[in-house]
Amino acid sequence: MAIGLRRRDFLAAAGATVAGAALPWSPARAASTEIVWSTWNNLGLPDYIDPFTKETGIKVDQTYITTDDEQFARFKAGGAADVDVFVPGQWEMSRYIASNLVQPLDLRKIPNAAHMYPVFRDNALNKKDGIQYSLPYYWGINTIVYRADLMDEKPDWSVFFKGDKYKGKLAMRDYAVEGIMIAALYLGIPQTEIFSMDDRQLAECKKALIAEKALLRTYWTSIADLTNLFATGEVVCAFSWLPPYYDLTKRGIKMALSLPKEGVPSWCDVLAIPAGVEGERLEAAYKLVNYLLGPEYGLKLAYGGPYAQSTDLVRDKLPPEQQERIFIKDPAVMDSFVWPQIPRRYNEWVTMWNEVKAS
Amino acid sequence: MDGGRTFLAATVGPVLVALIVLCLAPLGVLLVVSFFRVDFVSIVPDPSLHNYAQVLSSGSYRYLIAKALMSGATIAAITAVIAYPVAFFIAKRIREVKAALLTALLIPLYTGDLVRIFAWRLILGREGVLNSFLIWTGAIDRPIETLLFSPTATTIVLVYNYLPFMVLGLWLSFETLDDHLFEAAADLGAGRTTILLRLVLPLTAPGLVAGALMVFALVVGDFITPQLIGGASGVTVISAIADLFGAAFDWPLGSAIAWTLLVAMVGVVAAVVVILGRTPWGSAAFGRG
Repeated sequence: MAIGLRRRDFLAAAGATVAGAALPWSPARAASTEIVWSTWNNLGLPDYIDPFTKETGIKVDQTYITTDDEQFARFKAGGAADVDVFVPGQWEMSRYIASNLVQPLDLRKIPNAAHMYPVFRDNALNKKDGIQYSLPYYWGINTIVYRADLMDEKPDWSVFFKGDKYKGKLAMRDYAVEGIMIAALYLGIPQTEIFSMDDRQLAECKKALIAEKALLRTYWTSIADLTNLFATGEVVCAFSWLPPYYDLTKRGIKMALSLPKEGVPSWCDVLAIPAGVEGERLEAAYKLVNYLLGPEYGLKLAYGGPYAQSTDLVRDKLPPEQQERIFIKDPAVMDSFVWPQIPRRYNEWVTMWNEVKAS
Repeated sequence: MDGGRTFLAATVGPVLVALIVLCLAPLGVLLVVSFFRVDFVSIVPDPSLHNYAQVLSSGSYRYLIAKALMSGATIAAITAVIAYPVAFFIAKRIREVKAALLTALLIPLYTGDLVRIFAWRLILGREGVLNSFLIWTGAIDRPIETLLFSPTATTIVLVYNYLPFMVLGLWLSFETLDDHLFEAAADLGAGRTTILLRLVLPLTAPGLVAGALMVFALVVGDFITPQLIGGASGVTVISAIADLFGAAFDWPLGSAIAWTLLVAMVGVVAAVVVILGRTPWGSAAFGRG
């Protein structure tokens, strides 16, 4: 998964507005051994969760997220009261914490958290004032995906900003945070400064992004759509999630990935417990969080997703090719991660992104 | 009399309440929020005109609003030109298969927006039906890139999507047009052009105006077609508003843009009404003169 708009739903942007009105979204709460998990629809398949229910007697009702933005808007409008465990993007934890929508976690009740890779364990986005509010759950990368049969060389970020060899054959995701972040990486702006860029740095990014626009075939909004654009040859190279790479490789098209040396945008979804969950439900929520970080669930996710957990509990149980597939064969890749986060001047970023697109 | 009033209240009352609750109240909330400001994750009720100043001082937002209005007006005009003879033909020249033709006209609306958009992708794409055909005929030797992901492509698909709304409005007007009027006008010596300009157009003006307003409003609000067909230039004011509401959590600025757009749309419609109202066609459409 990636940050923001992640499902194949072109209308999802409107969802946040609808959800903001706290419309009919109220899963039934019944026995105390039933908890509600707000999650993506591919993470709680019966096969994944049944062992947990069998072992603990806790029934897990699921409600599905359509977009990160929609989930946040829903929680802001009071929707958190119906949820016991949820899955936000790590990049947006700061706004859940600032909105007092999450509660601090007692790590003594989540023993599997002790097995987290350092890059996740130490990530400051899950903490405020040293208090842990969320735990990294599973993760991946978003990077340059390209048609190796239609490109002569392995591209890096510069392919989107200069030269015209692939003009009209490139695509960029229509999302301000990632779009501007990539321009900043290309321009060599230090990673520590990217999400708090000053006016001068933002202006540099804007200039680069306007140049980028002239080279693009389109901005993509749905990964299914981008997959089609790759398949038909409309687009030969894009900043992308990985499904087009997996799906089209399987269909015999020569696809490839490029991990630019300037940094690879990474994503991580986290587990959090809404403020107000208490008593037996809280205990059950902790058990679910611990299970989701554990080896039994991790093994299913490593093949089913395929996604890597934030813990190393299943790594050694996977054959090398599967480790490679979910980027845990060589943990050094984690050193190149760039973690998106809510920019300090987010609305100005979004305004600038719209200005670029309207230029 | 009292019975009549009770009946009126019982029938009109619920409609009025529904209209106020479902339509005007949300707009009222948007209007109020548009004067507030956002502080990271909080909407601060600190009224000011700051958001409106930001909208009006931003070249991009002004451009996007103007682009939406221009797009609405352009598509309304193109659909009117295409729909006029089609509606005339269906209403006045077809007897046997009228229902079938009208149904056929509506068939595109039975499919979803996305289905129609992807069908057009197949036609207009680099390796699409049209480019392949043109290459096969020898008319071109390389695919025309701008057939898809361009403003032209957006215009084609928008016209296709909203043509039925224009045809339906005009068809109703043509159906109510009494054929004897043509004969009377011809008997009095009016030529075809005179009949068209002084009789048919004024009498079908209500359908034309209704269709145009419907197409205009629908096109202004359509952000999916430009986004999926328009390529890198497919940004619309609606998608910008959606970004502000969804991603940036800047509901006040999003609301201010939405209200500016609404006022601009009402302004355009009012201007059309005033200008057309002074013409014989408009008098027929708006019931004056």
